[in-house]
Amino acid sequence: MSDINLELNKVSKRFGGNQAVDHVSFSVTKPELIGMIGPNGAGKTTLTNVLSGMLKPSSGTIYLNGRRIDGHPAYDVTRAGLGRTFQITRALGRMTVMENMMVPGLALKPNARKADLEDRAHEILGLLTIDHLTHEYSRALSGGQRKLLELGRLLMLDPAVIVLDEPFAGVHPTLQETITSYIHRVHESGKAIIFISHDMNAVFELSQRLLVLHHGALIADGDPQSVKNDPAVIDAYLGHEEDD
Amino acid sequence: MEYFRQIESRIDQGIGRRRLGYVVLGLVILFFLWFPNDTSQSNYAKTVFISGFFYAIMSSSWALLAGIAGQFSFGHMAFMGIGAYAAGLIARDGIVFAMLGIAITPESFSALGAIIIGTLVAGLVGLVIGWLLLRLRAAYLALFTIAFSELFRIMMLTEYDYTGGSNGLSLRPLLQIADVDTARQVEYYLMFALLIVCLLAMHWVANSPIGLFLRAMREDEDAASALGVNVVRYKILIFVFTSMIVGLAGAIFYSDVGSERIIPEQLEVLQMSLIIAYAVIGGMESLIGAAAGAFISRYLLEAMREVVITLPFGLTTADGGDAFVWETGAWRFALFGVVMVFTLRYMRNGLLYPFITWFSGRDLAMKETVSKRKDDDDYADAPLEADDE
Repeated sequence: MSDINLELNKVSKRFGGNQAVDHVSFSVTKPELIGMIGPNGAGKTTLTNVLSGMLKPSSGTIYLNGRRIDGHPAYDVTRAGLGRTFQITRALGRMTVMENMMVPGLALKPNARKADLEDRAHEILGLLTIDHLTHEYSRALSGGQRKLLELGRLLMLDPAVIVLDEPFAGVHPTLQETITSYIHRVHESGKAIIFISHDMNAVFELSQRLLVLHHGALIADGDPQSVKNDPAVIDAYLGHEEDD
Repeated sequence: MEYFRQIESRIDQGIGRRRLGYVVLGLVILFFLWFPNDTSQSNYAKTVFISGFFYAIMSSSWALLAGIAGQFSFGHMAFMGIGAYAAGLIARDGIVFAMLGIAITPESFSALGAIIIGTLVAGLVGLVIGWLLLRLRAAYLALFTIAFSELFRIMMLTEYDYTGGSNGLSLRPLLQIADVDTARQVEYYLMFALLIVCLLAMHWVANSPIGLFLRAMREDEDAASALGVNVVRYKILIFVFTSMIVGLAGAIFYSDVGSERIIPEQLEVLQMSLIIAYAVIGGMESLIGAAAGAFISRYLLEAMREVVITLPFGLTTADGGDAFVWETGAWRFALFGVVMVFTLRYMRNGLLYPFITWFSGRDLAMKETVSKRKDDDDYADAPLEADDE
């Protein structure tokens, strides 16, 4: 089991006059399955980008296992132990599936034997049921297969904390089952997983803890049942009841 | 078609495509080693080949920078010029460290020493430019490098007292061989050896983990970074590496090996466009393809200066001859443009891509994949993207 201690302290991100993330604080200290929800424009993806080093926060601090990572470049955050996927899959199109898998493998373990990394990649691709596509260019994969490839690349990174941005978006039920089973398996191996989703059934089925963002601020953080009944959350999703 | 398939099958079962590829490559190298020993070949032909080797280095290194690492730079000729001018100026004027009160006289430098320093200067400028380009992508990167390239050319043109302006700058000759025939032969082998060494070095980089990271960077810098690739480091590294290669090639070529002097005209954007065109025609994602594209294009452009056209059906020219000579002039470049348009429209990976794919056995792997996935419709939730290359 990896050491897990992710700590966000009053993290904000502002684009001009738009406060995309507003003083968000939370911590992750054990292998949890954490759902992150919020209406469109709530700041979920921006927070993911800040967490993963794609964006520098305007203020606030982020620590991962005792190391400050806010403002560090994405590759450094990845090496520190935080891996992510993207809302729109970003397979490296003109590279084969195996090459896609070898990039994180070699980036993190430059001294590892290539054959060992390839064995590990084959094992992961088998787990994800796409091992028959090893030599295929990833641009030729279907949308679902690309999602699986992204998950596979994460396993090559072996991070302590994984952030999945919309893992179920645009996938059919069979693939959703594969992804769900992947999430369970990875979680059981001792990782903390934060996943963003608009699929409420999947969120409530999978999550042990829910984070709710609204207008960039964290308005709820707790177990799914209590969050579901939280007036602030109901208000954010359903709006105010107007007085006559 | 069936006949070709049978031959293909026999090759696959026998020697294997990759081995056959090495045999073909070996034969090509043997041809180039033999060529200058053919007494029927003129010095002019050898000069054309020397120029072809030089442009092969230029295009293949640009292929590494743009085709493999995705840094679409127009500054390649400028870096070549920096190597050549630096070598020339150092060999002529020496180096003065005014702050330290140290002056190194020109006599202290051999031609080789000046070439090495020229190469290092090109690498140093590549480091600075690579750093300045870190946040620029695609069109902005191209525009920046065009501006840098023009800036350098105009500096070389206007600083007449130092650079010789439009007359150019003579470098210290690298070889001093009195006999013209022998000199040409040695120059030929020197440039060919330089091409092989540069290709081997670039091949090593392209096929190492660095090459894998460069290609990941080309595909998607953000995704590569999220996968743990230090994009900044590799972007700068590839600029320095390719700048040094072209700086070295320029310093050697203009040290009276391929040409007597470097002139600012060589640094024009049009010349850079030719380097890109050669790489595109040969295959900008393949070092061998780009090098072959450059060499063949240079050779054909020379060969097409005068085209002898034999008239069919017993037709005769006004003076009674059965053939006439067409001095193509600028038309050969127009024909070259047509080939370029055809390549970009129909074979974006270059005219040599099918051969390279076949010899590498890559299409075998693809066929195997297609046959394996025939029964696999589990994840057919999105259509396959058309493979248009």
